[in-house]
Amino acid sequence: MSAGKYVIGALLIAVVAHLAFIFATPRVLMNVAFDRLSAGGANTWHVADRVTPLSRTVVRPSPDFAYSACAYDLADGPLRLRVNPWHAYWSLSLYAGNSDNYFVIDDREARSGAEIVLVHRRRDAPEDTARVVQSPTTRGVALIRRLAPTSDEYNRAREVARADICAALAQ
Amino acid sequence: MLRRILAWALAIIAGMVLGAASAWSMLAIGAKGFGETYGAWTHNRAAGSTSADLYTRAIIAKEGLLALSAREALYFNLAEDQDGRPLSEDCVYELSGRAFNARWWSVTLYADDGFLVQNNDFAYSIDASRVGLRNGAWVARIAPVRGDAAYWLSSRAARRDFSLTLRVYNPQRDFRASEETLPSLTRLSCAGERP
Repeated sequence: MSAGKYVIGALLIAVVAHLAFIFATPRVLMNVAFDRLSAGGANTWHVADRVTPLSRTVVRPSPDFAYSACAYDLADGPLRLRVNPWHAYWSLSLYAGNSDNYFVIDDREARSGAEIVLVHRRRDAPEDTARVVQSPTTRGVALIRRLAPTSDEYNRAREVARADICAALAQ
Repeated sequence: MLRRILAWALAIIAGMVLGAASAWSMLAIGAKGFGETYGAWTHNRAAGSTSADLYTRAIIAKEGLLALSAREALYFNLAEDQDGRPLSEDCVYELSGRAFNARWWSVTLYADDGFLVQNNDFAYSIDASRVGLRNGAWVARIAPVRGDAAYWLSSRAARRDFSLTLRVYNPQRDFRASEETLPSLTRLSCAGERP
């Protein structure tokens, strides 16, 4: 009996495994990031320590930024996100479960800080609220970058970050 | 019968291994050469965007998870000197650049694992706020020791295969990446080599 069908079978499986691996990579890595960033709880901001060689949560961190992360989970309804303004560059970016950066707002567009309501795409947006942003996935990551290249600037940014909000939308 | 079961089991295992290995090498090769190149710099315009295809998304996630989309920031990576040699702690390099049409920029040195180098020199990056945004030409030294350099990126303990990441934030509409506008890296000397 020829070995041909086994070779073809192996090749078909290889193609499927290849695509599955490529498809899963960003999702698995986002899951890992989500778990690391939500170690102290989801749906709340975690202000990262100043980036040093010991910072190993996410690859290629910039030592010039003060990062705050909120690993969000919209299973229990919409969230309210507020970013306290900062005197230099800052931005709020949102990442879906597949790692896509689906939303970003920075200080040029929101000089006095940003305030959004985050809802899942397949659910109704609440009425009479501020800017509504739809998340493609239930879970994801919100990230604030504040430009703070020096130790003093970082400490100031950390103080400013205390007024940021990532919490369930008050009913 | 048993032989057939064994043969299929072998085919399935071989297929899985082949699939995973080819995917992994695609990501590794893709990370090196995917996207656009400007001199020794590589750049992927699709970084962080929602239109990124299957491969681009996987490469970006592996190399720079939580990157910003191109509208907000552009990322460029450099892992070779002017002769295509991998970067090494044993060598001294000079990085020379000019002002960018952007709000802010930085160059950061990363070890081969993608994290900051394990030294306490606090010379992990240089940025526009230190070098000056519109200062025109600037030159930085990449070496294990600072010497008399005005701007310094420490490669101490970086060993081999470290890399540089250039971040350009809020690029102006007329910002065009090219070999001329991006900084150029020159290897000056290496330990154990005649200059």
